[in-house]
Amino acid sequence: MKQLVSAPVLFVGAGIFLVTGLLLAFLYAPIDASTMGYSQKIFFYHAPIAETALVAFGVAFVAAILYLRSQDPRWDRLGVVSVRLGLVFSLLVMATGMIWGKAAWGTWWDWEPRLTTFLLVCFLYVAYFVLRSVVEEEQRRATFAAVFSIIAFIDVPITFFATRFLPAGMHPTVITMGGTGMPGSMFVSFFISMIGMTLLLVALIRRDLAVEELKDRVADLKNSIGG
Amino acid sequence: MTIEEGAKFVAAAYAIILAVLMLYYVLSARRVNTLKRDVQLLEQEVQRRQIGAGGAGGE
Repeated sequence: MKQLVSAPVLFVGAGIFLVTGLLLAFLYAPIDASTMGYSQKIFFYHAPIAETALVAFGVAFVAAILYLRSQDPRWDRLGVVSVRLGLVFSLLVMATGMIWGKAAWGTWWDWEPRLTTFLLVCFLYVAYFVLRSVVEEEQRRATFAAVFSIIAFIDVPITFFATRFLPAGMHPTVITMGGTGMPGSMFVSFFISMIGMTLLLVALIRRDLAVEELKDRVADLKNSIGG
Repeated sequence: MTIEEGAKFVAAAYAIILAVLMLYYVLSARRVNTLKRDVQLLEQEVQRRQIGAGGAGGE
């Protein structure tokens, strides 16, 4: 348990990468030549946060499979914290994406494939917590949640590939099989922010796992003293 | 779009990101500290009751 609580190196590492990425985005990467101009700087955190949100849901998907195979509650805990963090990051993606949309397209929202499928991801994972809240028995709750998590994850690759398979939408596709579609200085700034966000996700997952373990320990102790 | 107009959108986006991430970081750190203290207090209570029960059994 103590190992999980102390993750300062990861937080410091994430902070260093995120601050460096931000500095490079504003001081090194050029101002976008398209109509977006300076507002394109939103991309340097928006895209890494989006990728990190999808990674978090991917972790929850793997944890769900491992839980169903082993019935080990640790995998259920990993699933819960991954979905929770995935939702926090998704909230940020939606908020910054709307600001991006207003700057780039002149509208806060458009029912185009990427935005619509991402909104659906958010609703699905909110439903994950609704499901957890209505099942009382611990093992059944974990099993139902794991099955639901696996089903919900189907929308994650659909969201990721929406701009590739349905290019009619307004959302740009930055990284394709043909390359990144941006200058090297922009890619460096983006990539460093991406590493920072991933490290932040890992650090927050570790800390939230510690919270879940401590909550279980408190519940056990309360039971043992009849509280 | 001018740089000034773009800067407003950028500032709003980064303010939301930093506010949410910092808030989550602080709240989760506080939650860990609170729970660790709860565990410590409960463990002390369990220990106290065990000693009490042992003493009562000895009489």
